[in-house]
Amino acid sequence: MLILSLALRNARRNTLRSLLTGGMIMFGVALLTCGMAWTKGAFGGILEKASNVMGPVRIVMPEFAKKEQLMPLEDNIADVGPILTAVKATPGVVGAWARIQMPVTLTVGDDIGEHFALVQGADPEWFQRAIDLEHHVTSGRMFKVDDDASGQCAGGHHGRPPIEAVLGVAAAEAVGAKLGDDLILDGQTQDGSISAVKVKIVGLSELGSSAQNKFVYVSLATLQCMADIPGGATEVLIYGKTLDDAGDVANALKANPAMAKFTISPWNDRPPFNSIAGIIGALATIAVGVIVFITALGVLNTMLMSVMERTAEIGVMRAMGIGRLQTVVLFVVEAMGIAALGGVAGATLGAVVAYYGLEVHGVNLGNAVNKMPPGLALDAVIHGDWEPYMFFQAFGLGLVMAIVGSALPAVRASRIEPVEAMRSRR
Amino acid sequence: MKTLLPAILAFALAPLRVLVVLVAAIVGVGHARAATPTVAELLAKIDTNMTYDTRESYITMRVTKADRVKEYKMHSYGRGQDEAAIEYLAPSRDEGTKMLKSKDELWMWLPSVEKTQKISGHMLRQGLMGSDMSYEDMMDAAKWQTMYSGVVSGEDSVDGRKCWKVELTATSADVSYPKRTIWVDESAYIPVKQELYALSGTLLKTWTMSDIRTVGNRQFPFKMTVVDEVQTGSMTELIFDSVTFAIPLQDEVFSTRWLER
Repeated sequence: MLILSLALRNARRNTLRSLLTGGMIMFGVALLTCGMAWTKGAFGGILEKASNVMGPVRIVMPEFAKKEQLMPLEDNIADVGPILTAVKATPGVVGAWARIQMPVTLTVGDDIGEHFALVQGADPEWFQRAIDLEHHVTSGRMFKVDDDASGQCAGGHHGRPPIEAVLGVAAAEAVGAKLGDDLILDGQTQDGSISAVKVKIVGLSELGSSAQNKFVYVSLATLQCMADIPGGATEVLIYGKTLDDAGDVANALKANPAMAKFTISPWNDRPPFNSIAGIIGALATIAVGVIVFITALGVLNTMLMSVMERTAEIGVMRAMGIGRLQTVVLFVVEAMGIAALGGVAGATLGAVVAYYGLEVHGVNLGNAVNKMPPGLALDAVIHGDWEPYMFFQAFGLGLVMAIVGSALPAVRASRIEPVEAMRSRR
Repeated sequence: MKTLLPAILAFALAPLRVLVVLVAAIVGVGHARAATPTVAELLAKIDTNMTYDTRESYITMRVTKADRVKEYKMHSYGRGQDEAAIEYLAPSRDEGTKMLKSKDELWMWLPSVEKTQKISGHMLRQGLMGSDMSYEDMMDAAKWQTMYSGVVSGEDSVDGRKCWKVELTATSADVSYPKRTIWVDESAYIPVKQELYALSGTLLKTWTMSDIRTVGNRQFPFKMTVVDEVQTGSMTELIFDSVTFAIPLQDEVFSTRWLER
């Protein structure tokens, strides 16, 4: 109790120095709070969004997995019906959809142009689940699946209804297409034959990500026809209740003998996620370490000054019977008292900035998002994600900063010999 | 005595045999030297067989990739070096697809989109309908005399046919295959085997021609096989079901009007 009251008295005695120490802790804790909210919001959001698009769990043919950068149509799952039935009966699976993704050139006029795009063909339900496409259609509407049209490559003539498509705004701008235009998608079949589909643009989508704004979205049946994979698909994407369930769902699927010939992988086992998750974790740890270290250095500086100024006083206290350990505790408690106040202030300040600045307002990355690969589609505005636990986590780290920063001065104080201290008259 | 007679005869005739062999060798070498054609002569004879003023043919193209085989039926027309037209008759998903080559431009009519589209530039060198033959391979009828020069490097045999082996180098930069090694049948003057190389020296394709028949006053291979040496497991066979040369062809066949007809 004596030590505690002495520590508090010392903290009050040099207000400026205590304010300096507390200010540093406050700044460090606020920075940590913002950093944690940013990491969770930005990187967590990217991972969740990208893994949703690429499928938390995915089934493909082994050859497809080996060269998936080339989007090999020939390495397809010839009949996805039985696979989807088996997958949906697997515990933990809440949804499964087949998808084909392929490169095409977009043509509005006569020339097969140089406007390349990716076309995704899937059930509208998948587009809703993965990218909430309907709500991102800024003009027009979501495409409808018409069995009379989408199951064939020809639509819109000879009395047939047109095949409908939603076009990303960047692709529309590049090719000079507008709502209601006929757009020709020139691609290939799984055998490499040239294959074309004429679609009617019924909606233009703005997903905030430049990569996804270059996509064309059509029904699965349309691409099954275009790629000449009737009843098949290149990928089956599977969703559990949460992203964290992916590993368990993948293991349950792998246990099914009917799935033995496929490559089944959760999102975090596939590139680029398998390397990115580790990199993000390492970067976050390094950032936290640097902030704690720099703040602790500031605390060390002020506490060291305190020890030097109070050498004579420490000598007297030591002469009066205060032991070395008690001396150490005295300085550490003093630093922790200041850190507690600074930590509360810093965590509060950090929470306000993280919530209103990063989470509500967000940070606009501008053109930087255009350099991201399609698999890591980024929104132009990145939002942080502040959670209450971050307040306590940052506060706790503030106390750690105080302990680390005050340890050396406290040990130095405990080594002061009473006679020498009183002789120094400081 | 019976056993000695052959030995005595062999001994007596040995100088004569040596003489006969020497004479044959001298005459043979002299004959071979005289008969070795120049590259220009060989290319001229190949061009006589392989190029045409007009040509109409029905072709079956079989594309094998790993364990998947796809067969196409085509009706093809050609006029001179710069004009060619193909209409696909089968399979059903490609029926009605038409291609028209005019100089460096390729026009395509796809029934599914009911639109004529122009393919140009690098796309001309891509595989025709997923085959190992490019659009240029299939539709180009340019004379080799104007495109290549080279040397006759010797004689060889391909599938029992005596051939001249010729190393060819393109004389201009806009040729699909800057280097070719060809084996020219000595009697038919058909390049029964070709190795097609990139400028770097990488072997791209091996092209063989067989089932050589007489059509009019020329020799023509009714079967061609192209093996992609870069993408393993891929092979294309081109079988001419019928071929007719020097027939009158209407101008309309080589117009975009024909595509949309």
